Amino acid sequence: MIFVDFGTMSHLFHRIVRLIKVYLPFLPTKPLRRAAGFSVFLAVMIMTPLTTTVFTVGTTPALAITPEEILVDPKLEARARALSKQLRCLVCQNQSIDDSDADLARDLRTEVRRQISAGRSDEVIIDQIRQKYGDYVLFNPPLDRGTAFLWLAPIGFFGLGVSIIVLARRSLPIPASPDLGASDHARIETMLITRNSANSNEKDRHKK
Amino acid sequence: MSKVRLSFLLPLLAFAVLALFGAIALYSTLLGSRDPAQLPSVLVGKPAPQTTLPRLRQQDHNNENSVTLTEFRGQPLLVNFFASWCAPCRVEAPALEMISKNIAIFGIAYKDRSEDTAEFLQQFGNPFQAIGMDIDGRNGIRWGVYGVPETYLLDRDGVVVLRHAGPITRGIIDNTIMPALEDLGS
Repeated sequence: MIFVDFGTMSHLFHRIVRLIKVYLPFLPTKPLRRAAGFSVFLAVMIMTPLTTTVFTVGTTPALAITPEEILVDPKLEARARALSKQLRCLVCQNQSIDDSDADLARDLRTEVRRQISAGRSDEVIIDQIRQKYGDYVLFNPPLDRGTAFLWLAPIGFFGLGVSIIVLARRSLPIPASPDLGASDHARIETMLITRNSANSNEKDRHKK
Repeated sequence: MSKVRLSFLLPLLAFAVLALFGAIALYSTLLGSRDPAQLPSVLVGKPAPQTTLPRLRQQDHNNENSVTLTEFRGQPLLVNFFASWCAPCRVEAPALEMISKNIAIFGIAYKDRSEDTAEFLQQFGNPFQAIGMDIDGRNGIRWGVYGVPETYLLDRDGVVVLRHAGPITRGIIDNTIMPALEDLGS
């Protein structure tokens, strides 16, 4: 259930437009103004879906769980809710059984609660359901031979990226030092001497 | 000079590798060897879960109160989850009738009432050797059922050979079930 508060959305949009109108003339050059406009546009594009989720969370969509399912003991109920959030609703596929109104989801929720009431541990309950429906029922796939690539790929890609950067930097041509003549060296000497004496003067002043 | 050219080609090469993976995935999907809509079953290759259910009373059957899966040991068996409230189950009724000449079918009425199941059988025919009533659907969960209709082929020893989610059709019988049944040597 997705709920979008269009009133709040349009209000936000108008505020952004006003901000741009007020501050744009202060930017001196045209490219700068264009860049600012474009970045605001990008920010709005990225923010729009985020704001809808923020508002959705705020309004709390209707619970899929029905009153008669809820366990009396609030501690056990909290465990049941936590477990239900880790299990995929197999008929809706992108909802957890905690979110779904589907019949099978309700049956699985009931099963989870029955097992909790029977005193089984979370691991045993998850494992039992996994044996019937496979890894597919878990939103958090376990690390085994079949999923090793999935889990290790991010590390691998990170390493690949770092090594590419290191290799690229190493292969950069070292800037050739310009040929310095005798007069240039003399200039450097005088510059260093004047700077050192200035520094020592400063220190002396601090001592006093 | 060659170093510069390599770093220029590297992103292109990486893209080519990615594109290759994508192409393989796409082709295997198109050729049907990998179907993302196909629901995975972990039961295949494993013994079917122990199943004892209240028996649906039928005039011409024995008077036992319950029906057990082990009654059917020693012969290949189709286990068919169905329900009177399920539309595709009506669609698959003629196909089930057809295949019931080749193999015994154990029907499991999933989340159904006995009187509704009986009426359904009267209307659409009864290809089942016996029918167990899975009233609250708990037995379905033990089999890993997603929804009705769903059909499992068991070998002589009660090991699951294949599972088909969705209605049985002529095509499914000819291309999937019968070849598997022949492999079992029946």
